[in-house]
Amino acid sequence: MSPESLFAALAINPAVILFAGAALAALLPGAQSALRRPLMLAVIAMSAAQLARLGLGEWGALTIFGEPVTMLRIDPLSRLFAIVFHIAAALNVVYGWHVRDRAQDFASLAYPAAALGGVTSGDLVTLFVWWEIAAITSVFLVWAPGTRMTFLTGMRYLVIQVLSGTLLLAGVVLVYRETGSLAFNEIGLRDASGAVKASGLVLFIAFGIKAAFPLLHNWVQDAYPKSTIAGSIVLSIFTTKLAVASLARAFPAEPALIYIGATMTIFPIFFALIENDLRKVLCYSINNQVGFMVCAIGLGSINGAAGYAFGNIIFEGLLFMALGAAMFRTGTSMATELGGLYRTMPLTMILCIVGALSISAFPGTLGFVTKGLIIDAAGEGHLFWIWLALLFASAGVLEHAGIKIPFFTFFAHDSGKRPAEAPLPMLIAMGVSAALCVLLGLFPAPLYALLPDQAAIAEYHPYTAYHVVEQLQLLVWATIAFGVLKAMKWYPAEVPSTNLDTDWLYRAPGRSLMFWAVDAAKAVWTLAWRGFQGRVVAAFARVYQVHGPEGQLARAWPIGFMALSVAATLAFALVFALVV
Amino acid sequence: MTIADQLPVLPIILPLVLAPFAILLRNGRAAHVFAVVVCGAAFAFCAMLLARVTAEGVISYALGDWAPPIGIEYRVDLANALVMLLVSGVATLAAAFSYASIRTEIDDRQLPLFYAAFMICMTGLLGVTVTGDAFNVFVFLEISSLSTYALVALGARVDRRALTAAFNYLVMGTLGATFFVIGLGLIYQATGTLNMADIRAQLSAGPPGAMPNSMVEAAFAFILVGMGLKAAAFPMHLWMPNAYAYAPSAVSAFIAAASTKVAVYVLIRFTFTIFGSDFDFIDAMLTYVLTPIALAGMFFASIVAVFQEDVKRMLAYSSVGQIGYMLLGISFGTEAGLQASLIHIFNHGLMKSALFMAVACVMLRLGVHTCSGFHGLTKRMPFTAAAFIFSGLSLVGVPLTVGFVSKWYLLQAAFDAGRPWAGFLIVASSLIAVVYVGRVIELILLRDPPSEGLLANDVDGNPVREAPLSMLIPMWVLVGANIYFGLRTDLTAEIAGRAAAALMGGAQ
Repeated sequence: MSPESLFAALAINPAVILFAGAALAALLPGAQSALRRPLMLAVIAMSAAQLARLGLGEWGALTIFGEPVTMLRIDPLSRLFAIVFHIAAALNVVYGWHVRDRAQDFASLAYPAAALGGVTSGDLVTLFVWWEIAAITSVFLVWAPGTRMTFLTGMRYLVIQVLSGTLLLAGVVLVYRETGSLAFNEIGLRDASGAVKASGLVLFIAFGIKAAFPLLHNWVQDAYPKSTIAGSIVLSIFTTKLAVASLARAFPAEPALIYIGATMTIFPIFFALIENDLRKVLCYSINNQVGFMVCAIGLGSINGAAGYAFGNIIFEGLLFMALGAAMFRTGTSMATELGGLYRTMPLTMILCIVGALSISAFPGTLGFVTKGLIIDAAGEGHLFWIWLALLFASAGVLEHAGIKIPFFTFFAHDSGKRPAEAPLPMLIAMGVSAALCVLLGLFPAPLYALLPDQAAIAEYHPYTAYHVVEQLQLLVWATIAFGVLKAMKWYPAEVPSTNLDTDWLYRAPGRSLMFWAVDAAKAVWTLAWRGFQGRVVAAFARVYQVHGPEGQLARAWPIGFMALSVAATLAFALVFALVV
Repeated sequence: MTIADQLPVLPIILPLVLAPFAILLRNGRAAHVFAVVVCGAAFAFCAMLLARVTAEGVISYALGDWAPPIGIEYRVDLANALVMLLVSGVATLAAAFSYASIRTEIDDRQLPLFYAAFMICMTGLLGVTVTGDAFNVFVFLEISSLSTYALVALGARVDRRALTAAFNYLVMGTLGATFFVIGLGLIYQATGTLNMADIRAQLSAGPPGAMPNSMVEAAFAFILVGMGLKAAAFPMHLWMPNAYAYAPSAVSAFIAAASTKVAVYVLIRFTFTIFGSDFDFIDAMLTYVLTPIALAGMFFASIVAVFQEDVKRMLAYSSVGQIGYMLLGISFGTEAGLQASLIHIFNHGLMKSALFMAVACVMLRLGVHTCSGFHGLTKRMPFTAAAFIFSGLSLVGVPLTVGFVSKWYLLQAAFDAGRPWAGFLIVASSLIAVVYVGRVIELILLRDPPSEGLLANDVDGNPVREAPLSMLIPMWVLVGANIYFGLRTDLTAEIAGRAAAALMGGAQ
């Protein structure tokens, strides 16, 4: 292969186009920063056009030092993710129109580019490269507020993301040793005899960290709420969905995922109910939502996972945007300090409610037509307890995301704040999201046409009486429950508090352990270096002595010596010519 | 016979005949314009030759209509057409570049002589490349070498050390030429012919076991050492750093790009077309003699470059290291290795010439070519600084530049040839290049320009200005070529690939 073919393979890749656009935007001088967002939007349009032009297929098949890699693979699964990533990236650019920050602008395009590259990669090495780029570019969003707290948070975030990348690399090596191929296809957690494979397990954990599996989830609540308003929306979308796409490809119908997913859907609900910071509530909601997708993958419903990921990106993003708009105007996202904003932000309130209805899977919304795929798969699998858990979790979603977010932001007690309506770009971004929620909810056919498993979707009809009645019952009872809890004052009141999650374990005792390990490593290194140092210094001194300006090799030699060196070379050559 | 049939001889005969007329021009400016026009015409002919060879295949031209093997044959295939394009192209740009710089470095009355010698030098190098006659190679080699000695010696007005450098170069160059001609004599004794294709035919004909005999084997050893000396391969490079450092700036820019590359080309031509890698002794020589020479150059010379204070000397030592890469490509004895080597000949010509031009710009304004002249160059001569940085990155092998293309093919060739260790050594020695180029780039970008002392102002005591356009344009054409051929790799890689395939197929 030639560099030419490498460049060609890169130039054809929409993710590379996006990334190049991000770099270009970052290079714009500060005086022209107002041009950045329009430029970013144009780049997204270019990349989307390239995606549409390519259609389905594989490109960028190269041989790098003997190993075939496929840098770009667009199959129905990756296409769906690629499309929704483009939509989300464009909406986020519009939403953050007011941002004039080089690092944030760069990251809000480069990071989606990396996620896009990851989902469209056809081999594990390409996946790894994009995986790491996603980790590194996204941390700029965590750092964006520029305080010491966000810096430390960013470092914690980076450590965990890089850990995931390292595990991924280890997994890639193990897979290669096992199969002799770098292709990114179904890998599976177990071998033929049913025992867990090391290669599968390592990859599983690497993906699991990014998907925020239970106990591996704390980085989400730690990092996302601390970013800027626009930054946390960008963050909320890509990393976990990249992980979902990777899980769907590598571990379809893995039973362990059913139980992991079900746990993920339930445990965040309790944290979300008592949490005061509404952005953190939404972060717990991410865990819960990704849980549905993970569960769907375990159930073998790739349609459910991919479809719900599509829907979730739109309506979860909408909720984040609406809350962000309130925060943009009032400067806070605490439930205790918000409330009563419906008076002056009616449009934002309406759009927020559309998002809330959608995430609660109200019939006629995007949530309904996508979540039904998952619930149905559980029912058809005759997994009663899982089905029940998912129903319970759906009710929980309604409580914490569907009702809590709009209620405490726009209604509840009157905070006395009378902010202006959200700015126009934010309203546009939210309006488009809401329109997508409603339109695709009423007419899901275009979305269904994009789902990976067309055979399965052909038999699925969202608006049967059974589906609608089941869902309405659930929603009505859950709403009544909220009303009763609220009336009896049993619903956890909004209190400013710090709720400990399992991350306390590694942030307090774990931290001490880590510092002990650092000190120990330092001591060992000092000891080793002491023996080594002298020799390195001596070796460099020797190199300088020979190669330095006055060294034998660099001196201007007398002509006789020059001739002698040539004669010696000739003798050497003659010996080999005549004797060997 | 139309003029078009005479194309192979035109780039040689035109400058050869016209060069003496430059002496008649008493005015330096006129001689400069004359030289640019003549070199440009030669370049145009070389480009037409390359185009024709690409389309129609090998061109054989019988000089004076004396049919080979009795007469002298000019034989143009892709390999030498590519080298001729490089030589004439760099010569044209260097000639255009030279005027502002050379005027300050040599006496005005010598300018016509300088341009005459310059054209003769180019003629010699083109002649070496174009000819299909082994002895003719020697003749043209002497033509180019003699004029190069004179060109180097012209640097004496700025630095008297140029005289010793030129004298050493003269002695060593003569030694190399002598070894080369001894090799030719042995071949002639063994085969009775001097035409390259005919030598090849004689060597492969005859009863099995008759060829190669020890005379032929010794001939190869002599030619290898003779050409190795001209190419400044590692232990025979000692003449070269001083010659490049003390020659006038514009001369360095030309000979660094052209003369050593032509020597490497001759080595390739003799190794693969005349002897052929099907002989066991050639294989052994490549593995046991050329490989160590190449590796030693890649490391020792590069490390020396790291410690040099004089940027021209640093670039010269870097050239020794880069020649090592070309020889390494040859030493694999594979088509891929040969392709990589040819690509690097072309690419290294582009980058080294641009780098020496940047140094010439600094020399023009500040009068020095040491590191101290480069402090804070971005603030004083931004375009020169940018040209140095871009071509320096190309030398290191950063993607999107020609240096990357060279390294890439070389690495591929190393792995293909089953020598992955060579691949690692290539990468390791590139890291040394990062250090010696990075060292100067650090001075350019991060230091402040000196505010007092000799270098605070230019040589005339005025604030330092950017180099004149007459220098910037040719330099940036080369920098542009560094990037263009780094992106359009199919041009060089395809031609070099086809040329390598033809060379490995032996003389056709």
